[in-house]
Amino acid sequence: MLLLQVIVGGLLLGAIYALFSSGLTLIWGMMNFINFAHGEFVMLGMYVSLLVVMWLGGGPAAFGFAAAFSLFVLGVFVYLSLIRYVLRGPMLSQILSTFGLALLLRYTAFWIFSANFVSLPQTSLSGTLNVGGVLMPVPQLVAGVIAILLTIGLHLMLTRTKVGSQLLAVSEDRGAAMLMGIRPDRMQALAWGLSAGAAGIAGALMAIAYPWSPSVGETFGLTAFVVVALGGFGSVPGALLAGLIIGLIQALSAFWFGPIYKDIIVYALFVALLWLRPQGLMGKA
Amino acid sequence: MLLEAHKVSKAFGSFFAVREADLSVDEGEIVGLIGPNGAGKSTFFNCLAGDTVPTEGKIVFAGHDMTDASPEAHARAGIGRTFQVPATFEDMTVLENVMVGAYLRHPHHNDARDLARQTIELTGLRTQTDLPARSLGTPGRKRLEIARVLATAPRLMLLDESLAGLTPTELKEAIGLVRKIHEKGVTIVIVEHVMEVIMTLARRVLAFNQGHVIASGKPEEVVRDEAVIDAYLGRGRHTHRRRST
Amino acid sequence: MKIPAVTPTTLLAAGLLIYPLIFSGPFYLDIGVTFLLAAISASAWNIVGGYAGQVSVGHAMFFGLGAYAPLLCYTLFQWAPIAGIPFGIVFSIALAVLIGIPTFRLTGHYFSMATIAVAELIRIYFGTWDLVGAAIGLQGPATARGWWDLTFRSELPYYYIFLAVLAVLLHLTFLIEHRRFGYYLRAIKAGERAARSLGVPVQQIKIKALILSAVFTSLAGSLYSVKTGFIDPESGFGILVSVQMVIIAALGGAGKLYGPFVGALILIPLQTATNTWFGGGGTGLTFILYGGIIVLIARYEPGGLFELWERIAPRGWRRKNAS
Repeated sequence: MLLLQVIVGGLLLGAIYALFSSGLTLIWGMMNFINFAHGEFVMLGMYVSLLVVMWLGGGPAAFGFAAAFSLFVLGVFVYLSLIRYVLRGPMLSQILSTFGLALLLRYTAFWIFSANFVSLPQTSLSGTLNVGGVLMPVPQLVAGVIAILLTIGLHLMLTRTKVGSQLLAVSEDRGAAMLMGIRPDRMQALAWGLSAGAAGIAGALMAIAYPWSPSVGETFGLTAFVVVALGGFGSVPGALLAGLIIGLIQALSAFWFGPIYKDIIVYALFVALLWLRPQGLMGKA
Repeated sequence: MLLEAHKVSKAFGSFFAVREADLSVDEGEIVGLIGPNGAGKSTFFNCLAGDTVPTEGKIVFAGHDMTDASPEAHARAGIGRTFQVPATFEDMTVLENVMVGAYLRHPHHNDARDLARQTIELTGLRTQTDLPARSLGTPGRKRLEIARVLATAPRLMLLDESLAGLTPTELKEAIGLVRKIHEKGVTIVIVEHVMEVIMTLARRVLAFNQGHVIASGKPEEVVRDEAVIDAYLGRGRHTHRRRST
Repeated sequence: MKIPAVTPTTLLAAGLLIYPLIFSGPFYLDIGVTFLLAAISASAWNIVGGYAGQVSVGHAMFFGLGAYAPLLCYTLFQWAPIAGIPFGIVFSIALAVLIGIPTFRLTGHYFSMATIAVAELIRIYFGTWDLVGAAIGLQGPATARGWWDLTFRSELPYYYIFLAVLAVLLHLTFLIEHRRFGYYLRAIKAGERAARSLGVPVQQIKIKALILSAVFTSLAGSLYSVKTGFIDPESGFGILVSVQMVIIAALGGAGKLYGPFVGALILIPLQTATNTWFGGGGTGLTFILYGGIIVLIARYEPGGLFELWERIAPRGWRRKNAS
């Protein structure tokens, strides 16, 4: 029964991984660009939630929206002020731009919020649910389920709506998209907004259920790399599946070998993937 | 027979960019590949250069099977190529660009530099020797690409629209350069959109449309071929602005 | 072949040789030693990150292996710490191959991601591994048992050892610059597809560059731990270690012989100043500063200060210093 509980817990956390990783994979798929600050976006989403709760007394709906919206704006801003200029520059600029941004955000957060772990005050979501002997904390359950729904929602948006097809058109062929009257720059800004917004709301969901400190951004960023590498670069359904798998692997390795090993095993998996299947589970060979 | 491509096909998913294309080139020939943009000539060309591995078919160069060989193996074997959009090393000088090519057969610095200087002289880039490649215009960079390839001492040179977008004067000079290279014993396969270039340079032409070789023979015959005229004027028109791949 | 500008180089060498004689106080000597070590690591990074354009953001893995090896040899076998240097180098080479082979076939982003993931993996693992002292780390000999322990009370001997290593590394880089290997590195950075079409064995050259870079980064790590007589996961494999190499090289000019040198010349005093002004809490601000500088370089001046100088310097100056 305990094992089953560990598995469910892993999958629920993995659902949140899936949500923010789908943001990372969206950017990769569209412009062949890795955002090293993606984990920091998640971390910011968590602190935005904390501030909304502390200052405005908002509930989960309020801070979830606030985190998504503020990170959307940040994503668009980062694209327009930085990414746009380095996109066609040398590889060094591409990597340094978001890598430097990650440091800037992470250590500014350290400076403002200190390195201490914090968690949200008790919200309306609390208590545990007993499903056939498996104890599930309500916050985790709500966060995990919403994360899955949002990831699916993002996928549907990309594949079923007009905006989605325009985004896709830009990623397939910039030139052709321009001839179709789509403005690639706008679409890429939108993609950055969506990507950061997904990270922001994932942060809010994470904040409901887990404590955190400014350093979680780095861990989440690396976790997102592994999820995207496993799921295939550019694939949202791949990220969903891979996120759940990584959550599960982490939970099981923490359960069997001790919590310290959960990240080690996941990063080792990443190196193994690069050797064995660099295109990911669902990527094209 | 220097180069022989046998039933070469290249598919991207279910889309065939090239379907069962045949080509054989004798030592000392100049062969042209023509066709509207998106006709598959560039994909076929990339198969010959080792940049793309054909889905099916076989490519033999000087008796060696090159079908799956890497681009660098192609260079070592003596197949040099230029790029449709010049891919010069922008931050390096003209001399340094050409030296990268020269190093292939001359590992020592001084030998490579001497050969590079000769090649630069031959291709008429002498006054720009120490300028960075990025300061050259498109015609200059196309010329630099030719010089760079020439320094690898190729037996076969694949020119991908190296003469496109030039002014009439530049074009005349470029044609002269290609002739000069040809006279030095280099066999040439040239992809060109501009008919006039092919007409003046090539003895033999292959016309592509929608992945197929639709005509081959002497240039003056091929341009009169109904299928070719149709491809260029008819279906060619609405695909005119698309980049070939 | 371009002849190196002899005068600036000799002047530089002379300045570095007499620096400790002029600034002999422990504070300035410490800055000098820190500067040299930073210049060595960043110059080592520069081979693969600058010249070949393969941006590693996890070079701490080589630094850390190099740093642990001497102190581990001392702890386990009571050897002189320097006897451990070759082991650090061997493990670094193995790691370079392990990472290079799969990632260099893919686009540059994979290599960057792999380097940071592996560096973190090792850092976390070393923090749990009792043999290497887990989170506490390892210590060297408290007092020298002989000269071979390289444990000195003054930093002066370290200064000259580090200076010699830096000179060797820069000379080697200079030789590479003027040989086929260096031309191939730059060609790969400028355009892999074109480089391959000219017969450059891209994969092989990149791996060689990474190995060479790893060897010297590992050596830098060894020098660090031999000097300080102490190493823990954070100071060996921490992200600051990787960041410093990248930022110093990029600030001065990635892919330029003296780029990392210039970068270190600016950053190390700056870092010392922020640490002094802000006291113990300075590290956080140092990181914010680093992050800001990195973003600015990426956005406005990817060529670093060297290229900025080439653009704005008056013409006469430029010609004189064109080397």
